[in-house]
Amino acid sequence: MIFIAKWNKKNKRKLSVARTPLNSIAVQRRSKSKSHLQSYRSCLGAASRLGCTPGLTTQWLNASRRAPKSHITRVNPEQLALLLKTEWQLSYVTPLYQFRHTLLTSYSRQLLAFIVAEKQQGLAVEVEGHQDSFRVSFSTVQGMADTDDDAETIFIQIHSKPLFAKQDESPRSVWRGWLTCINGNPDYIHSLPKDFVCLPLFCSSGAEWLTSLIKSWFQRTFDCCFGPLEIGPTSLQWLIALWTNCHPESSIQHLKIIWTVPVKPPMQITYTVDPQDAWELWRSVRKEPQEERDGDLGRGQESEEEESSIDIEEVTRFVQGLKNHFYRHFKLNLSAANLSQVSTALGSAKCSGRIKISNSRYMITTLSLLTECALLKMPI
Amino acid sequence: MAAKLDVSGPPDSDSSSQNDQSVSSQSTKRSLRIAEKERRKNEVEDPFVLALQYFSDVEAGTPMIGNDEAERNLVLVEKVAYSRGLPPDAISVMLEFAMSLRMGSSPCARVLKCLIPATVVPQEAVVRGIVWLGVGKMPISTQVLFIKWVLTMFDMIDAKDQLQAIYGFVFSFVMETNLCPFICHLLFLLTRKKSVQVFRVRKLLDLQSKLGRQPFLLHLLSLYKLFCPEMVTLSIPSRMRAAFRNHNSPWKSALIAVQNSSQVASSVGLTFLMKDKTSSRKRKHCHLELPALRPAVHTKAQTEPSTSRKLVPLVQLHNFTQLLENIHRIELPAQMGSLLGSSIALQYLDCVQDESALLRLNYWLGHALHEEFLFCSDSGSSQTSEEVLQFLDRLLSTQHFLQEGFSSTESFLYKFLSVWDGSLLRPQILGLLSSIPVIPSSYIVQLLFEPLMQLFFTSTVFFKCGLIECLKNMLLKWLTWHSVYALDDGLDISINSHTPINMTLSGFKDSLMGLVHFVGRLATVGLQVEGCHTLLLSFILDFYDMVCDMFLKYGVPLVVMPPAGVFYPALFATDPVSVDRLARIMTRYKVNLTAAKNHEKVTAQVFHITRQTFLKFNHYLVFMVNCLWNSKLFHPDMALQLKEELLIKSKVPQYWSSFNLIHHPAFLSYAIDFHHKCWPDRKDKDLNSIKHSKPWGWYLEYLFAQGNDGLKQFVQANIGQNLTTGNAKGDNLSANQG
Repeated sequence: MIFIAKWNKKNKRKLSVARTPLNSIAVQRRSKSKSHLQSYRSCLGAASRLGCTPGLTTQWLNASRRAPKSHITRVNPEQLALLLKTEWQLSYVTPLYQFRHTLLTSYSRQLLAFIVAEKQQGLAVEVEGHQDSFRVSFSTVQGMADTDDDAETIFIQIHSKPLFAKQDESPRSVWRGWLTCINGNPDYIHSLPKDFVCLPLFCSSGAEWLTSLIKSWFQRTFDCCFGPLEIGPTSLQWLIALWTNCHPESSIQHLKIIWTVPVKPPMQITYTVDPQDAWELWRSVRKEPQEERDGDLGRGQESEEEESSIDIEEVTRFVQGLKNHFYRHFKLNLSAANLSQVSTALGSAKCSGRIKISNSRYMITTLSLLTECALLKMPI
Repeated sequence: MAAKLDVSGPPDSDSSSQNDQSVSSQSTKRSLRIAEKERRKNEVEDPFVLALQYFSDVEAGTPMIGNDEAERNLVLVEKVAYSRGLPPDAISVMLEFAMSLRMGSSPCARVLKCLIPATVVPQEAVVRGIVWLGVGKMPISTQVLFIKWVLTMFDMIDAKDQLQAIYGFVFSFVMETNLCPFICHLLFLLTRKKSVQVFRVRKLLDLQSKLGRQPFLLHLLSLYKLFCPEMVTLSIPSRMRAAFRNHNSPWKSALIAVQNSSQVASSVGLTFLMKDKTSSRKRKHCHLELPALRPAVHTKAQTEPSTSRKLVPLVQLHNFTQLLENIHRIELPAQMGSLLGSSIALQYLDCVQDESALLRLNYWLGHALHEEFLFCSDSGSSQTSEEVLQFLDRLLSTQHFLQEGFSSTESFLYKFLSVWDGSLLRPQILGLLSSIPVIPSSYIVQLLFEPLMQLFFTSTVFFKCGLIECLKNMLLKWLTWHSVYALDDGLDISINSHTPINMTLSGFKDSLMGLVHFVGRLATVGLQVEGCHTLLLSFILDFYDMVCDMFLKYGVPLVVMPPAGVFYPALFATDPVSVDRLARIMTRYKVNLTAAKNHEKVTAQVFHITRQTFLKFNHYLVFMVNCLWNSKLFHPDMALQLKEELLIKSKVPQYWSSFNLIHHPAFLSYAIDFHHKCWPDRKDKDLNSIKHSKPWGWYLEYLFAQGNDGLKQFVQANIGQNLTTGNAKGDNLSANQG
């Protein structure tokens, strides 16, 4: 608990530092315009307030984030195992309206009935009845939330009995997905009315038709919208750095980066780096701890964590270093190429929005980054 | 004859008052009515009444075959039925006779076929008919015929409450396979929320598993789903067969004939439209699809006892009257975006005060706009497709209807302006842009002016015109908001203490001034770049038409003069329309400034029009009068100066008069025409001869008669009484202020 509280404080400070001036203007402006319209409306006494919104999301990724240090100890290992080693397709979700963590059983029944009804177009299905072809389970993943503001993660699993199964054969898991929010921007979360639950990151794995059915059930039930979440080049660079930074504790085994060159026919460059070399390079671009503290007083206690925070400049320098190395050997400048895939033993990520996390120890950091990306996509 | 019957027992008033009475009391009433009829029968021997009497009194077990009396009476009833229709109590009598099978089942179908109501069908007769169904002696085909008859006449049944009360009884006939389709239709018409019960859902689902996907079951179930989505769920295939076949063929034509002859305007509508369509075909722009109106699913824990008052889902309201009746207890749909698809829902949206609901709507709308235009996740599809256009048009008309922009549209536009090429969906985007609310002046430059400036200077003249018009509409909206909302509390908008930051009147004025100055800059450069394009000039003058009247028309204590870059091009324009409009605008400026000055004196209110404004106005006015009227183009103490030598070098004869009302390029053709009309015989044209005092007056008359109203107002306001002398001085009305 102590750890969480401390981190919160720190995180807020960073957020305020990291925001660009343009963005903070936009945030203030929104709230101002809102109140303006309200005051107009309130003159009439009938407040329709079509224009009211909570603040805008941050427009840019945080420029600085802490190194992956946190260990998930509070999460049930069985549940954790379900989240790991699967490649997830990412989506963003706007806040869910009237979602209750206490009604998961009822949601299971409704979703089941919905899937069955949609599958058998034109056949009505009783919600409370029993269907034996599918089984839907909703559950919370306790202990995933990193701050008090984060809503608990929801895990959904769908089992199905194969068509020609034997009597005693148990149903197979055909689809999994989860909705999560790790270290969501507290300003954004606080700006939402309390009817809304913010779980902006949706990870799914399984048949495409089930994914779209489940999405449309969520849309109808909680009035939310789904959209694809790509992992942009900056986020991929962050992942390169964050994962490399873990090497001493947990070997990354290899650092594989794929660049796509925009030519016809399309060309891919796969660049594999020896883990030790990568680590050496990373160490060389890291700022000195003293430099980073730059005379800020009264933060002696935090110095240990301060050391482990990583800055965007370091990340850029690291990736530039890798590119320079490549240029020296192959005389190919990668600056015009698109970063499309990153993989290490800790996980892999593709620009199309697929991610696999293999090691639970560094999960929280990765998910924080992805939550941030998802929040950036929020329309308001 | 029918009229007589009506007298014997007024059916209309009777039936309407019967609604809340029990069946038994009605039957006693009916017997009273028959008794009275008997009394009347003694007086008037009406064969039709006698026939009815026969059928109501006939003993059970009387044979039909070979019964001449019965045959004769039946023919008589049929004749009346097909010619005029049967009055309500005749329907009761005949239906009772047929359904009780007193003369066996053979006349039953025949009677049913002739039951054409003249006005209404009494409810209790139908209820009794349904009760007779339960006796079970009737052949199945006749039962079907009866239900078909009820379905056809459903809209003519005078009340439905008792029918709804025996819903359970009607429901029990669902098990009869042959009756099932028709019973389902009847149930569909009778279902209310409280009749949807778990055991009924189960029964229907049982039937469904037995009979397969029958459309009649599906449609009844879909209605159940509409009322209680938590009990049943289904998805209707996109190619669903027509809901319930119209079973009204035997009666339809006869009914229409009877109705036409009696001029009863009662519509028999049995059409039922299935709207709950989940289209399964894949669409490219699925995020632009409006969600269907669906009621929200209530799980048990969500419906707290405190909020247990009956709510009416928006889906169940079909017209404005229903909306008004239920406006205090409307339940919002599951997806707020669906409101945009229905006009009734839009009416309601205007009074929605729930912040969460509006936020939901904004999330949906913002998501759709972002996905389509900013994230472009469907890249490759043609962007100007029909769907996008439809979506934006719908959004525009919605905002127009609400007279307010959505905040998600607004925040989307700020982002979109920086990537817009200025041509993609131009009318729609400019339309959306014109309805954004007042932006505080500290952000207006960054959010609006910078991106717009870039677009303006790099685009065609048509875009420039469009943008100026868009900004004019924006100004109009801002001014309207101000005049609507600021009136209540003096001239101060900032009254609400709940919100931390308010826009004060001065803040509003700053924003307004920012906008007007911005358009002034755009106009100046735009006119230069486009070589004083007439169309552009016309749009710019449109804008100033509104600006000059801000004080008097909209109550904003603000007067902003057009920049020189607009004034002089308009004054020296080659078309009379522009000059005329400029004259009108200047006149309005004068009226506004005078009013503002008086207002300041009377109310002693601090609203300050700067010295600069008065100076500028006077300069413009003096220049205009000197130029058009006094033929003193370059007067020594005027804003526009040129060296004497330079002017002589140009070798323009009488350069000082070359922009007066005669020689001004915009009016030259008028002058020549006038000259021709005035002195048709003269060979050599001497336009200066118009200047003599008599023809000058005529010439002015002539100019004003050509529709130059602005010029007329200008001359009347500024030159006034000196009109005839022809050498009026510029009226230095408010110059002393400056």
